[in-house]
Amino acid sequence: MVKKILIVDDEPGVTHTIKYGLESLDPDYKVECVNSGQKCFELLEKNQFPDLIILDIMMPEMNGWEIQQKLQGKIEWKKIPILFLTATEDQTSKIIGDISSQGYIEKPCKIPELKKRIDQILS
Amino acid sequence: MKINISLSLKLTLIVVSISAIVVFSLSFLYLDSQDTYFFDDYVERGVALTKSLNAGIDAGIDLEDNETIQKYIENINNTYPEILMMSINLLDEGNNLKVFVSTDNQSIGENASFVNKVALDHYFNNTYVDASVVTDEDAPKITVITLVNVSGQIIGTYTMLFSMEKTYANLNTQRNFLFLISAMSLFALVFSFLYLLRRIIVKPITTLRDGTILIGKGDLDVKIDINSNDELGDLASSFNQMTSDLKTSRSKIQRYSKTLENLVKQKDEFIGQLGHDLKNPLQPLVGLLPIIEEQEKDPKLKEHLHLIVHNVEYMRDLIFETLELARLRSSNIKFNIEPTNLKSEIDKILERQSLYLKENGMDVDNRISDGFFVETDKLRLAELINNFISNAVKYTQKGSGKIIIDAKKEKEFVTISIQDNGIGMTKEQQNRIFDEFYMADESRRRVDSSGLGLAICKRIVEKHGGKIWVKSDGKEKGSTFYFTLRVSDMKKGGVQNG
Repeated sequence: MVKKILIVDDEPGVTHTIKYGLESLDPDYKVECVNSGQKCFELLEKNQFPDLIILDIMMPEMNGWEIQQKLQGKIEWKKIPILFLTATEDQTSKIIGDISSQGYIEKPCKIPELKKRIDQILS
Repeated sequence: MKINISLSLKLTLIVVSISAIVVFSLSFLYLDSQDTYFFDDYVERGVALTKSLNAGIDAGIDLEDNETIQKYIENINNTYPEILMMSINLLDEGNNLKVFVSTDNQSIGENASFVNKVALDHYFNNTYVDASVVTDEDAPKITVITLVNVSGQIIGTYTMLFSMEKTYANLNTQRNFLFLISAMSLFALVFSFLYLLRRIIVKPITTLRDGTILIGKGDLDVKIDINSNDELGDLASSFNQMTSDLKTSRSKIQRYSKTLENLVKQKDEFIGQLGHDLKNPLQPLVGLLPIIEEQEKDPKLKEHLHLIVHNVEYMRDLIFETLELARLRSSNIKFNIEPTNLKSEIDKILERQSLYLKENGMDVDNRISDGFFVETDKLRLAELINNFISNAVKYTQKGSGKIIIDAKKEKEFVTISIQDNGIGMTKEQQNRIFDEFYMADESRRRVDSSGLGLAICKRIVEKHGGKIWVKSDGKEKGSTFYFTLRVSDMKKGGVQNG
């Protein structure tokens, strides 16, 4: 069963790492990378819905909170589980706890741990 | 209990005592001199009377004529109502002094004072012989004895008993008057002293005290207004100087603290940014290197990759812990403190660590008895316990490690102990183990630890309001770490966690 993952992070180093890591650990993973909120919504507008979105918080122009808010706006988008990926501090992580049941994972993360979390959410 | 006696009362008491002593001593001296004066006065009267009696006898009063003499002295007695008794005593053939005539009939013929001529000769040429006061409070009297001198020859004595009642009455009136005056002047003295005391000393002191209280409350605009050219005036101007100096210092401190506040804010923001910027570039290293290492077939290269992975993880820990410590130090960090069941919470933490413990052959025994509820942030408690466990693992021979966790309640704190059977530490190490970047064993500095774990633990415990310390009997004797957490209200804790 193919697992479609969308990563939104302004750091190509991060998105590339996770894509490579996940796909090499499990060939079932199909990972798409975008480096901004705009790109993320461009994809979604084309009705390409991933099984899960990995969302960075601190990004220029449109940050993770804003993207999450916008995702809540459409029924089809709202269903997609979000796993926050964050390098920021505990104040932020507490807010994540309040708005997302999936929680967050701290940067830099080990790929097997990330995969375990994703599998848990998708199972 | 401290009894507060005001300064004016104390000084007044001193002044009253001194004045009373002075006034009463003076009165006593004055009255004493009055007594002497009255004594002499009576003697003079006796002597004057004697002169006229002697003159009368010289002029022809017949001493043989008892009746005439008797009349004569009774006449004197009636003329001078102060004279209570009068007698004439003459020497007989045997030179003994006998009462010859007296207003007191009963005493006639009896021996009189100064019984013989020898005694009288001793006073020859004097008219006055003796006077003695009978100090009877109700009826004070004085006896004056003078000589009967007929044509230059002493032939006997006169005894005159004067009543001093009138004089003493006068004296008493005077004495009372004197006491009244003394008391009044004493009062006047005390009141004027009190007035001066209040004006010169007490009022300035109270003003200074009120000023001090105001300064204590933070009002530095206080100005003490004492315009006297004495020590108190000096004190007031020094006080004003101090206030203005304090004001200058305070505004300086306020300026500095404002700057400091800004700096702290900037620092916190910088750390947040730094955290973000340091973690992102680490992601490819942490994420990719282990996978590449896994996939590498060349054993030599694989070994190099292993070393790199190990160092990357060390770097990652170092960055995380440095940021963690910086965050724990920043003022705006908030702990989510709640009543927590200590035993079950630590069981949960150990459960999460069970794989790690098993891999490292570490046996953990949680001996905490049920029923301890403490005020703690659960995530921070986990951080503490994990830190102690990983330390124990690092410093214990693999496979033979044993950790005993226990707790003891002491008043409003619970002391939690984590005992291991590791390499232990010296006294010097125990003192420094919680310092930042301190490592008991310098050789371990290479890759295993950042040296910040226990510094972080210390901050966490202190943020909880507790204390942290370590005990060890020395090298190879194991170590026991202790930290305290506040006991939570049992009822509240019971409801939420029980």
